[in-house]
Amino acid sequence: MQAAHATAARVGGRRPGLVGWLLLCPMLLWLAAFVVVPTLILAYASFTRADEDTGFPIYRGGLTFENYRRIVLDDDGHFLRTEQEEITTVDRDGTERVTGTHATTVIAAPYLRVFGSSLLYAGITTVLCVFVGYPMAWYIGRANERTRNRLLMLVMIPFWTGFLIRTYAWITILATDGLLNGLLQYTHAITQPFGMLYTPGAVVLGLVYSYLPFMILPIYGSVEKLDHTLVEAALDLGAGPLATFRKIILPLTRPGIAAGVLLVFVPAVGMYAISSLMGGGRTPMIGDVIQNQFFTGRDWPFGCALGITLVAMFVAAFAILAKFRSSVTGSDHAFRAR
Amino acid sequence: MKFIRVLLLLLAVLALPLTTFAAEKREVLNLFCWSEYVPQPVIEAFTKETGIKVNVENYDSNEKMLAKLLAGGAKYDLIQPSEYVVESLIKQGQLEELNRASLPNFKNLDAKFTDMAHDPGNKFSVPWMAGSVGIVVNTEKIKDEVTGYADVFSGKYRRRIVVLDDNREIVSWALATLGIPINDISKDTLAKARPVVKGWLPQIKAFDSDSPKTKFLKGDVDIGIVWSGEAALLWRETKGSGKFRFVLPKEGAHMFVDSLCIPKGAAHREAAEKFINHILKPEISALISKDFPYTNPNTAARALLAAEELGNPASYPPGATKLDIFKDIGKTAREIDRMMTDLRSR
Repeated sequence: MQAAHATAARVGGRRPGLVGWLLLCPMLLWLAAFVVVPTLILAYASFTRADEDTGFPIYRGGLTFENYRRIVLDDDGHFLRTEQEEITTVDRDGTERVTGTHATTVIAAPYLRVFGSSLLYAGITTVLCVFVGYPMAWYIGRANERTRNRLLMLVMIPFWTGFLIRTYAWITILATDGLLNGLLQYTHAITQPFGMLYTPGAVVLGLVYSYLPFMILPIYGSVEKLDHTLVEAALDLGAGPLATFRKIILPLTRPGIAAGVLLVFVPAVGMYAISSLMGGGRTPMIGDVIQNQFFTGRDWPFGCALGITLVAMFVAAFAILAKFRSSVTGSDHAFRAR
Repeated sequence: MKFIRVLLLLLAVLALPLTTFAAEKREVLNLFCWSEYVPQPVIEAFTKETGIKVNVENYDSNEKMLAKLLAGGAKYDLIQPSEYVVESLIKQGQLEELNRASLPNFKNLDAKFTDMAHDPGNKFSVPWMAGSVGIVVNTEKIKDEVTGYADVFSGKYRRRIVVLDDNREIVSWALATLGIPINDISKDTLAKARPVVKGWLPQIKAFDSDSPKTKFLKGDVDIGIVWSGEAALLWRETKGSGKFRFVLPKEGAHMFVDSLCIPKGAAHREAAEKFINHILKPEISALISKDFPYTNPNTAARALLAAEELGNPASYPPGATKLDIFKDIGKTAREIDRMMTDLRSR
């Protein structure tokens, strides 16, 4: 009780009055009808069995944990599996030869591995977006107003065309007979075109390109609010640029980074068009695999279980980041008190 | 008072579309068909002749169509499933029996495409277009003789291969190389196919069911296993120069037949049968071939096609016999999905 009171006091919250509730009403109804209720149906269906012919959930056929068991364990109930892998070498003429074997331990359940690779791609994307987006956001935030508005406009312009069209544009650029290879050959930088498209690198490029604005904008928000006198004070008091960045700038812009990370990481995990368009569909992403359960796989309850697992992961990510943010607010207070 | 008047006015405006809808008793036909498969002129000619308005809705996979149809809620009068889906729908009693008396143009069809295993006697379905799955080779880049699946995956064309992004297709090719019938799908046969598929996957550059031809044209791949329609379009695009060669795999190719069917309880059955009879007319069927060069099952329509269309080896493979077709495999689809996810997620 006291803790809750303290939290309310800290964020400066006030109980909303009647008007406040009325204003909130449309949004709450919207959330209830289109988020809460469907999620509950999804959760219920994830514990049912699938109809043999259609793959639809049998709502009155009793409940089972089978779907979740299948996500975590393989058919034989193993979590990890050791495999004898053949080592193949490719000869100069392109044919393969087996030259030995080695043992590898992998996660046994295929669907868990798909979660893993989706998280890995999303993680790499998020890190790259922070490193590329932070300097851009910093520069935009510190520029004078005219330049700033123009730069912000440039960040927004890609949203004026459809996401798929932009992805197809990348395909035109990266294809073997595409624009980039053409340019490199024209300038004699390379003699033979090389395949850039349909590689993991192309997927990461597509992801970073698509989600970068979602990293730049929140960081820009915190950079713009940052009190520059604090930076000057730190520099005056003998802190080097690196120390100033680490001790002053970074903590003060951390809420922006946290928001950006969330805005990039969550959709990047669930995305599915980019992996098939730019990665050639070689690495299945969790988005594709969930879709498959509802169509070719004919197993709706299992698809629901995968979806609920994904939602649970997002909730966990939110919780962790919320903690991260509140600790930031805490340090902020400590900083002011000092 | 003013408030009530505004309210009444608003109600009147809202009710307007309802009354106009009731007044206009124009006959309609709700067609649920593949995207990129029914040319607009075919529909326009039908409306012009019969006055029936055609509402078109598209899907891009049999399974999506099935999910929407069986989930209910939407009312379709005509659907366009592939043969194994026709089989499953007949089994589930989801199709209306056709009234052959209202389909006089049925006689135009080639006997090779009627009375097939999925619908003996064509009680429920009429073939729209057929096609096969085969190998396309860019002969400018690959000079070797490629005759079957095993040649494609010999290891020589690592990372230059495109295949259909369709797990059942890939498994069926592996079964064919092992000499196992492509419809014999069980835990046992899948276990045999597994090492074959496992050896293939690392060699593949891209999976694409939508438009693999683009990857050939942009030089990203030199060889692949794709729909014959895609190969026919490649052949057309290169003016039949022979740059892209289409090969039916020697291990055993299979074909697909897409048909028109009337789902159970359709509201406009008569209109649907009129439409089926319409597309069986030679001149209308030839229009479909013009836009989508699959194998036209209509003998009378083929007589109207230009010699170069009939000479397109991907549309009309020389010496092709009656090929295998896919059968409904029901819940075994799950096993395939599981195995392929396992193999592809490494």
